[in-house]
Amino acid sequence: MTSSEKILEVNDLVIRFGGLTAIDGVNMHINKGEFVGLIGPNGAGKTTFFNSITGNVTPSEGSISFNGESLLKKSPDVISHMGISRTFQNIRIFPKMTVLENVSLPMHSKPSYNFFSAMLGLPSVKKADKIIQEKAMDFLHRLGIAEYKDYEAGTLPYGLQRRLEIARALAADLSLLLLDEPAAGMNNDECNELVELLQGIHEDFDISIMLIEHHIDVVLNLCSRIYVLNLGQLLAEGPPHEIQSNPDVIRAYLGERREGR
Amino acid sequence: MYIASVIVTVCANIISVIGLALLTGYTGMFSLGHAGFMAIGAYGAVLLNRYYAVPYFLALISGGVMAAFVSVIIGYPTLRNKLRGDYFAICMLGFGTVVRLILNNLNNPVINGALGLPGIPKLTSLWSALFIMAILVYFMWNFVNSQYGKNCVAVQQQEVAAEMMGVSLVKTKLLSLVISAFYCGVAGGVLGFWLQYIAPASFSDTRSNDFLATLVTGGTNSITGPFLAAILLTTMLEYLRFLVNWRLVVYGLLYILVMRFRPEGIMGYKEFSLKKTILFFKEFPQNMGKLKGKWVGFWESRNRN
Repeated sequence: MTSSEKILEVNDLVIRFGGLTAIDGVNMHINKGEFVGLIGPNGAGKTTFFNSITGNVTPSEGSISFNGESLLKKSPDVISHMGISRTFQNIRIFPKMTVLENVSLPMHSKPSYNFFSAMLGLPSVKKADKIIQEKAMDFLHRLGIAEYKDYEAGTLPYGLQRRLEIARALAADLSLLLLDEPAAGMNNDECNELVELLQGIHEDFDISIMLIEHHIDVVLNLCSRIYVLNLGQLLAEGPPHEIQSNPDVIRAYLGERREGR
Repeated sequence: MYIASVIVTVCANIISVIGLALLTGYTGMFSLGHAGFMAIGAYGAVLLNRYYAVPYFLALISGGVMAAFVSVIIGYPTLRNKLRGDYFAICMLGFGTVVRLILNNLNNPVINGALGLPGIPKLTSLWSALFIMAILVYFMWNFVNSQYGKNCVAVQQQEVAAEMMGVSLVKTKLLSLVISAFYCGVAGGVLGFWLQYIAPASFSDTRSNDFLATLVTGGTNSITGPFLAAILLTTMLEYLRFLVNWRLVVYGLLYILVMRFRPEGIMGYKEFSLKKTILFFKEFPQNMGKLKGKWVGFWESRNRN
């Protein structure tokens, strides 16, 4: 499934917030169909990196291109329609909308009819809405939350809200999925379940996925290639077994042994 | 005729409050200047009718379109520069005031400055007002339940996520501003052709505030809530006339009570449904028991503090 064709390419990315350099000269790429991990200690700049891809943060220097097209100076909604979708570290569902409405949203973010027909409530409008609802139900079934479709999203327990976010991200017509700590706050069993789920999604939907995660087991089980960020700089890159034994990575996570001991 | 007058005023208020409901209730942007759009709609419709003999319905629609057009001029730069929340509300407050002051100071024979426009033909009838109100409410109901309406709610609930899921913030916000301006413009025309007299002073900030207060009392994210609140508050204003200035105190008290006990408004995030109401009264004893339980709980928690 993995080909050498690059879907996302980031070159010499620099992001400064005033005097703070959050990302400092990072080069990165994702191949088509690849499952890539992005790890690093807290404050390494992982989420900022995601934000720069999705257009929330404007890079100070460097280039980001998706399928050969530059993403710089594009607004998040345009980038979303190009096929990049994401989940958030701190869950950002629409709490007062139902689960079904949450998942339907990406499919009608560009409404398929004009607003005059919407106001008149034409039959074609009802039909279009129904088709989207059916599609949304498919995603809910796939993520195993179909029985909650009429619940207010904000009333769901934490784990299900995470699933709902993944379902919503998938509902956008996507080719690259960015997952920001999907396993945060989950226990071991839940993590294993998530690994299975993500593996299934990766195969079924034929998409590339980039995953930020602190649960190292999840990353090692899923990713074929891992990037390590530390203090805004790329520390290492490689397949899981190399990263595990990389002395730089171990030093960044565990600290250095003091001289003379 | 007195009752008819009350009903027409209620209709005009419903139209503007429903328009504002889309902008404030659904898309989540507060405006303190929608009386300005009402003024533009009223003056536009009346002047078109007076000088170009435009028929009633067409004049109303043209007045609404003028208000909508002006809303694009004020809305596009503010929304593009991501003014939100209080900043947007204050921007609209300024807009409303500016419209009123411009009308106030245009002392030419057409606009007639602070004296306003007297002698407008009485083209609004009780039935035409009810008809226009019903049509516009029906259109809004369809709109908020369509894909457009859901996008608006998404923007209100979680702006960052909505944008990341492909909703264009500027387009969505601008569309709801334009539609709400159109509604207010039409309401201005309906009122102008009924009262037979309009002046800049009839479109003061107080009116904008009343819209907002009515909307919040009725409940955001609801059409039936503001609808009911507009009826309730406008008729109350008439029936409390014997209290003279004290009726405003009753208003203040009502707002305080609503905010204290139902901050989400009378309907808030829900729509009025006849089926559910009938069901409520069928199971009246149990439901009263539940309500009593809530009250007891409330008082106990108070006494504990």
